Amino acid sequence: MSFPHPPSEQELHAYVDGRLSGERRQALERYLAEHPALATELQGWQEDIRRLRAALADPTLLSSNPRLDPVYIRQHRRQRRQRQLGIAASLLLAVVLGLGGGWQLRDRALQASIPPMQDALEAHRLFALQQTPAVDVRSVDIAVMERWLRDNFGHVAHLDAMVERGLTPVGSRLLVNEQGAAALLLFEDASGERISLYLRAPGQLYGTMLVGNRAQGELQTHFWSRGGYNYALVSHAGDPRADQLQQALRL
Amino acid sequence: MLDDDALRELLPRLRRFALWLIRDPASADDLVQASLEKALSRWAGKRAGGELRAWLFSILYRQFLDGQRRQRRQAALLALLGRQPEQDSPPPEQGLQAHATLAAFEQLPAEQRALLILVGVEGLSYAEAACTLDMPIGTVMSRLSRARKALRALEEGDTPGPRLRRQK
Repeated sequence: MSFPHPPSEQELHAYVDGRLSGERRQALERYLAEHPALATELQGWQEDIRRLRAALADPTLLSSNPRLDPVYIRQHRRQRRQRQLGIAASLLLAVVLGLGGGWQLRDRALQASIPPMQDALEAHRLFALQQTPAVDVRSVDIAVMERWLRDNFGHVAHLDAMVERGLTPVGSRLLVNEQGAAALLLFEDASGERISLYLRAPGQLYGTMLVGNRAQGELQTHFWSRGGYNYALVSHAGDPRADQLQQALRL
Repeated sequence: MLDDDALRELLPRLRRFALWLIRDPASADDLVQASLEKALSRWAGKRAGGELRAWLFSILYRQFLDGQRRQRRQAALLALLGRQPEQDSPPPEQGLQAHATLAAFEQLPAEQRALLILVGVEGLSYAEAACTLDMPIGTVMSRLSRARKALRALEEGDTPGPRLRRQK
């Protein structure tokens, strides 16, 4: 075998690295005899790699490092995975808390735009403040009103407290809101001042409510929860009976 | 399961390869540790057969390249912030060895150092080296020529300059 053409790069490397078979090596050596420049270069390459090999000869000379032992690495890996799991869990928790917090913020924003028992106030404006109040059932008897409430809501409310403060029933009206039925009970005092008692099932935004009140314009709303219903007492702002009625009715 | 004894036996070679890639003993061991962790996590997915040593070398080399890339990004970021990036390699006078051959070898670019170690010192076949460095075998041949010529030039006292190390 001979090299009519210059030998390939791979053959040159294989020669330098001693990976050529006998026959091919001899052929290349014959070629090199005719090309002394190349022969010198390859000799240099061989010399370099020999020296490099000698210089790097003993890899065990590096001082041992227990950190690199497979047993340690496996252990380390396990620990790190547990740590990562821990981090992942805490991230997940953070996301959940964030979402929950966001939901609460949303609710709070809604609550800010829709104050509690706003529907009671609207109902009072709509039905109670008209010259002739728009009620379904006219009655001046508190017992009739209580029965009406029991029949329609299965709910027993004692309205004596209203009567005790000089308020007589005018009538009642059945209303509908997003939670179902609601009731507006309208009362009037001797001077024609109207106070309405409103009750409804708890809404999504306001479940069971703390006792409270708020004023809005000329009206004030006292609200509380009792017996699975949310109550609102709507009266003229500053009406002193409202506080007392709230006290009496929520117990 | 990856055999611990087989790993232990290859450890010195991996450390040597890492050391001459990264040229800093502490970083080299970090590199080996990271590579072994990767190897242990990937072992399940490794196809049967294939040489363990070449496979480990290739993981280590890839980890090394990742590290280099990370360092370059950091340097670019620092430059962007108007700070001088840290020297990414020990200057030659603080090199590993006073040994002339090693001093010359140390000045070669990382890829050439990797090639010479894999082929010349570890005796990997050209195909294995191509696999390890993730390049076609033809490229291995031409880069190997370039590496040998560069080492020769350095040995003969031609100084292509330390810039050589930075070319990629």
